[in-house]
Amino acid sequence: VSTTIELPQGTLDLLILQTLAPAPQHGWAISERVQQVSSEVLSIRQGSLYPALHRLERRGWIKARWGVSENNRRAKYYELTKTGRRQLELEKDAWLKLTTAMAQVLGIT
Amino acid sequence: MLSDILYRVRSLIRRKRVEQELEDELHFHFEQAVEKGIRAGLSRDDARRQARMLIGGVDQVKEECRDVRGVRPVEILVQDIRYAQRMLRQKPVFTAVAILTLALGIGANTAIFSIVNAVLLRSLPFPEPDRLVRIFFSNPGLGMRGVLYSVPELEDLRSRAGVFEYVTGTERGSVNMTAGPQPERLEMITASVNYFRMLGVTPQIGRLFGPEDETPGLAPSAVISDSLWRNDFGGDRGILGRTIRLDGEAYQIVGVLPSGFRNPGRTSAHDVDVWLASGFMSPADPKPLRSARAFPGALGRLKPGMTLDQAETRLAAMAAEIRRDFPADYPAQAQWTVEIVSMQDDVVGKVRPMLLVLLSAVTVIVLIVSLNIANLLLARASGRQQEMAMRAALGASQERLIAQMLTESMLLSFIGGIAGIATALAGLRFLLQFMPRNIPRLTEVNLDWRVLLFALLMSLLTGVIFGFAPALYATRANLLPAIREGARGYGSGAKDGRFRDVLIICELALAVVLMVGAGLLLRTLRSLIEENPGFNPTQVVAASVNLPFPSDPAKDPYHTLARQIAFYRELGRSLASIPGIAQAAFVSHLPTSGISFQFSLGIKDRPVRTEEDLHAKEILISPDYFRVMQISLVRGRYFFESDEEGKQRVAVVDESTARRYWPDGDALGRRIRMGQGAWMTIIGIVKDVKQDGLDVAGLPHVYVPMYQDFDVADGYVFRDFVIVARTALPVSVLEPQIRRQVGGVDSSLPVYDVASMDELIDRSLASRRFTAQMVGGFAAVALALASVGIYGLLSFMVGQRSREIGVRVALGASRADVMRLIVTKGVILAVLGIGAGVLVAAGASSIMSTVLYGVRPHDPGVFLIVSVLLFIVAILASYLPARRATQVDPNIALRST
Repeated sequence: VSTTIELPQGTLDLLILQTLAPAPQHGWAISERVQQVSSEVLSIRQGSLYPALHRLERRGWIKARWGVSENNRRAKYYELTKTGRRQLELEKDAWLKLTTAMAQVLGIT
Repeated sequence: MLSDILYRVRSLIRRKRVEQELEDELHFHFEQAVEKGIRAGLSRDDARRQARMLIGGVDQVKEECRDVRGVRPVEILVQDIRYAQRMLRQKPVFTAVAILTLALGIGANTAIFSIVNAVLLRSLPFPEPDRLVRIFFSNPGLGMRGVLYSVPELEDLRSRAGVFEYVTGTERGSVNMTAGPQPERLEMITASVNYFRMLGVTPQIGRLFGPEDETPGLAPSAVISDSLWRNDFGGDRGILGRTIRLDGEAYQIVGVLPSGFRNPGRTSAHDVDVWLASGFMSPADPKPLRSARAFPGALGRLKPGMTLDQAETRLAAMAAEIRRDFPADYPAQAQWTVEIVSMQDDVVGKVRPMLLVLLSAVTVIVLIVSLNIANLLLARASGRQQEMAMRAALGASQERLIAQMLTESMLLSFIGGIAGIATALAGLRFLLQFMPRNIPRLTEVNLDWRVLLFALLMSLLTGVIFGFAPALYATRANLLPAIREGARGYGSGAKDGRFRDVLIICELALAVVLMVGAGLLLRTLRSLIEENPGFNPTQVVAASVNLPFPSDPAKDPYHTLARQIAFYRELGRSLASIPGIAQAAFVSHLPTSGISFQFSLGIKDRPVRTEEDLHAKEILISPDYFRVMQISLVRGRYFFESDEEGKQRVAVVDESTARRYWPDGDALGRRIRMGQGAWMTIIGIVKDVKQDGLDVAGLPHVYVPMYQDFDVADGYVFRDFVIVARTALPVSVLEPQIRRQVGGVDSSLPVYDVASMDELIDRSLASRRFTAQMVGGFAAVALALASVGIYGLLSFMVGQRSREIGVRVALGASRADVMRLIVTKGVILAVLGIGAGVLVAAGASSIMSTVLYGVRPHDPGVFLIVSVLLFIVAILASYLPARRATQVDPNIALRST
């Protein structure tokens, strides 16, 4: 029995944005970070991270820049743009509303 | 939004770089994952395996990332185009043939369309051209359209009609200009002062007519055309104020029109070069009486917002009021009324049928070309079934394969379209040289955006037509047998064959339609050429010489009729003295020229019946005219020199007129009159002459001796006679002689339009000849294409069925049997195609009836000849492949599996 659950549609974007909020990160670090904070419950197929990153970049919410990693490798770093930051707030808000509403409907509170 | 576009653009144009970055990024991730595994104590290999599992297939991730870029459709297209390019290059002969035929087809179509565009579609080059109209006065009760009008009637249009912003009277004529060493004949228009304001023209130098030119009669100002300015005055910018003499009177040049300006009117041999302004109210003008009708033309600009229909209704109502108010001037049976027609229609209406016939014909050619290419592609497609099946097996979707095939056809048609535009550009000038001169607006023909759009649409259309069938066919193929059997299998099923047959049948049917059209037009031309004009045009030379007609009688050397008659008699004698001229005469209007005076015809002692359409054309001639033209006398006599002013008024009528009005009696001795003119006694009946053009049945014609009656309308004296001479000499030899003799009588008179009668008749057929030859040429091309189509199909069939043929031969089939196998196929195709084509042509040919003469749209002869001709060509085209089939060696055919 798997202890991890599939990530609901659209939440990956929110997770990525949240992960990038404090500081720019490269893909590997984002992946590690998401696994870590989600207490190893949420599993992201590591491959699906990259299409998501590229999609966010195309939307202009994050932007990419080549930098040097901790172990001195060339890595692609992503950081939030201004619109990205605004989007993060919006999505957080929406998420909160959704979960609260769902919890009420399901009688969990 | 902006970031999105930039992202996509970068993905497209820096594709390599973006790909490399993706590669690097994933590689970095992979290495980190491996390192993490090693740190966790795994062996390097295990760590790599685990990392790979966690990431998922690298290629799949890459594909997903590429999808995210949002440029997949473009990338696929680029890929398909590259692939298509390769395929086209692999078959250079096929590609060359396809592009060449497309270039010719689309090129011809584009060239013809650019003419249609300039002549029919583009608005006249005036501001708000929709509001410009030509105004006609008509007597529908007498079947007369475009009758002359009087000064008060022109005034009615201005003050009473309430539909026009401007109304201008126009009088077109020609004048003798004496400016240089040689007198010159110029086309001139005398118009109301507001003429240019109505059209909305601005001059290139100087001014046009304005308030300063308002006088009762002719203003002393002249406006000239750009071409006159350049040719006669060397484009001198200081020309303003220069004096020119027109018919002996001096006018000051006040302005030069822009080079693009052409007088809006039917095109005659010459463009208008001089414009004068007149109030049409001076003593020299016709009296301001309703009955003094002497003006031929009027133009108008409708008030803003006024539609043609509204204006027509209003004008008809006004005409009814006027008829009621002045019953004496408007006989009830004439039903006099005012009509308008849009200026655009007036200018180009006559050539519309001809141009549309040409455009249809050339469009049929493009269709045939497309079908031919479709057939070639289909043949190729059955050869490519294996390739398609393989690609389908490897996971390409049906849509992808269709898109791929369509891309190939579209690329082909696009290249063909570009080549077609180039062909049109190159061919247009050539084509225009052969266009009859009397087609209006030819100088405006060029390739504008509309033409380019048309060409592109045409190539798109052809691409779709010839692309879809093979695309659908190739991709619908059954995978398994195709792969199993390989390229040389029995691959082409019955369905494929049937489809190609249908294409060929369509092609043949279209060829029939075109050939029938060409046949009908050529028959028309032949019946016109064979039409008996009623006179003998060979060895007749015509030349125009006009007496000046100054508005001031004091400056008129030919003020009295007697002086005019004296001039013509003297000129006649001088001309007769030219060695080589057997006889010379004068006529007001040359036969087949299509112009003449039209009058209501009065017959003495015959009750006026209102329902009867009694009118006739009057032709003024000198006594020898009938002899020069060899118009035979049926009864009575020709005119004598003694039929002159002061003697009994006489007339000659043509045979059909005599038969029409005196069916059981003798016309000789009867009395008739033209309009309100003097009564004349009929003294002769001559054979009918095709006065109004070879293709016009013609009204009754009444010949009147010119020495009795120059005064054709109240106050209007005719001075524009044409010399006709019977001579064995060619025009080039005769022309200077005629010039010298005319100069000897009056050196201020120019001689112009010198031509043989044969040539003039020929010219009157120019439009029809051009159309017939063009469509005939297209039909020949269609025939060639159709025979190539049949040949190609049957050759392909022979190649494909060579094994079957081999078996048949091995089993004892004779050469004749094999031959019959192939030829029968050709015959069946030909019969079906011809049958379908005959049906379509029979349905469509009636729309051509307006351009036909002397042949019915369903002429059985034309249909029969076309069918037989196409059938013979089809059999010939099948013969070659059939012969090849008989040479199939069963040994080789059966072994080459």
